[in-house]
Amino acid sequence: MMSDYKVIILTSDTLNAIGLRSIFEAAFGISAYIADEHYIDSFSTTKEPHLFFVDSKTLVANLGFFLPRKAKTVLLTYDHNPYDDFQTLCVGDNESDIINAINSFLTGGHDEDNSTTNSLSQREIEVLRLIASGKINKEIAQELNISINTVLTHRKNLTAKLGIKSISGLTFYAMMNGIV
Amino acid sequence: MTLINQDTKLCDIILQEPSTITVLDRFGISLGVGDMRIDDACHERGIDVNFFTTILNTYINENYFPQTALLAFSASKIIDYLAKTNEYYEKNVIPNIERHFAFLISKTPAQNSNLVLMRQFFDEVKTELLQRIEYDRNKWFPTIALNEYKSVGKMPNAVKDVKDFNDPIEEKIDDLINMLIVHLKGDYDHNLGYAVIFAIFSLKKDIKQNNRIRNRILMPISQALTQ
Repeated sequence: MMSDYKVIILTSDTLNAIGLRSIFEAAFGISAYIADEHYIDSFSTTKEPHLFFVDSKTLVANLGFFLPRKAKTVLLTYDHNPYDDFQTLCVGDNESDIINAINSFLTGGHDEDNSTTNSLSQREIEVLRLIASGKINKEIAQELNISINTVLTHRKNLTAKLGIKSISGLTFYAMMNGIV
Repeated sequence: MTLINQDTKLCDIILQEPSTITVLDRFGISLGVGDMRIDDACHERGIDVNFFTTILNTYINENYFPQTALLAFSASKIIDYLAKTNEYYEKNVIPNIERHFAFLISKTPAQNSNLVLMRQFFDEVKTELLQRIEYDRNKWFPTIALNEYKSVGKMPNAVKDVKDFNDPIEEKIDDLINMLIVHLKGDYDHNLGYAVIFAIFSLKKDIKQNNRIRNRILMPISQALTQ
């Protein structure tokens, strides 16, 4: 399944691009594609990639392209300052940290169908309903027959889509929308 | 806004940043400030000018946080300021938000249950905030004051573990604001709705600024004093 995974690297830093591609190959068996500057102009939505890695220059020059895809865009940075809109990967981190970070991008990006809209997926609504009924992550995982990591991903997406972090906030949201 | 200093006029501060009105109030300064400068106002009231300007600058500028300067102030000064802040939340801000909510809900068609749920959510935030204020007043602040009294002359310099905490109260206020701005539905009186959101915004700003003082200043001082 991972061999179908399409990763695009868009950066003018050649060494970063090649390094990232070889990490994908070695640690995940994914052949990432290093795109050139014409990539976005000739982009066709029929083969929408799963994940983009971009440097800040490319990102800023193509915000109109990346903003709607922010759930699957990773900004390559040189520091650990958080960015509000995009997930980041610090190119100065050591190898195992980078691999861990990439791993979380890969598992976090599964809900691709909904990543460009703010409406909740059926699964997210189920998770929200269970959160609102006072269930903890472990119980939610058991009830829906999914792993705790997947529950965490759903929760992360819920918070990102709704802008609500606390359990009571999510509960009241669920009540307002007839989910519980 | 540029940093204020002892020569800045009180009216200039308020005109540029009206939210400081409530901070000045904690130092016993109310409207009708004339053309008084900070220096004179502090002198008149026996306030430490340095402490006063540091607190105001911290409040006005999000990026300004002179940790070393703040850590050098006595714990009792910081406690005194935070206790007044708590009192302000308890006696002014919370009742004010409740009043606005009550007005709004009384003018909202009964079929819009949205706002009632949001008020219930606010009640939760309120309960938590009041519990924290209670704990500060009866437990945390007196303990720090006592420890400071016991260690007179050997002010702790081993202050460490300075960090921001994820404050559940701040998080819930953010959620409430998001729910009002993003997820509000149905009919309601717009003007009264805006009054609610502005009141909650000003609470959020105040709590955020004061959490920085609590977590990065008073918390490490209190830990150092018990060592």
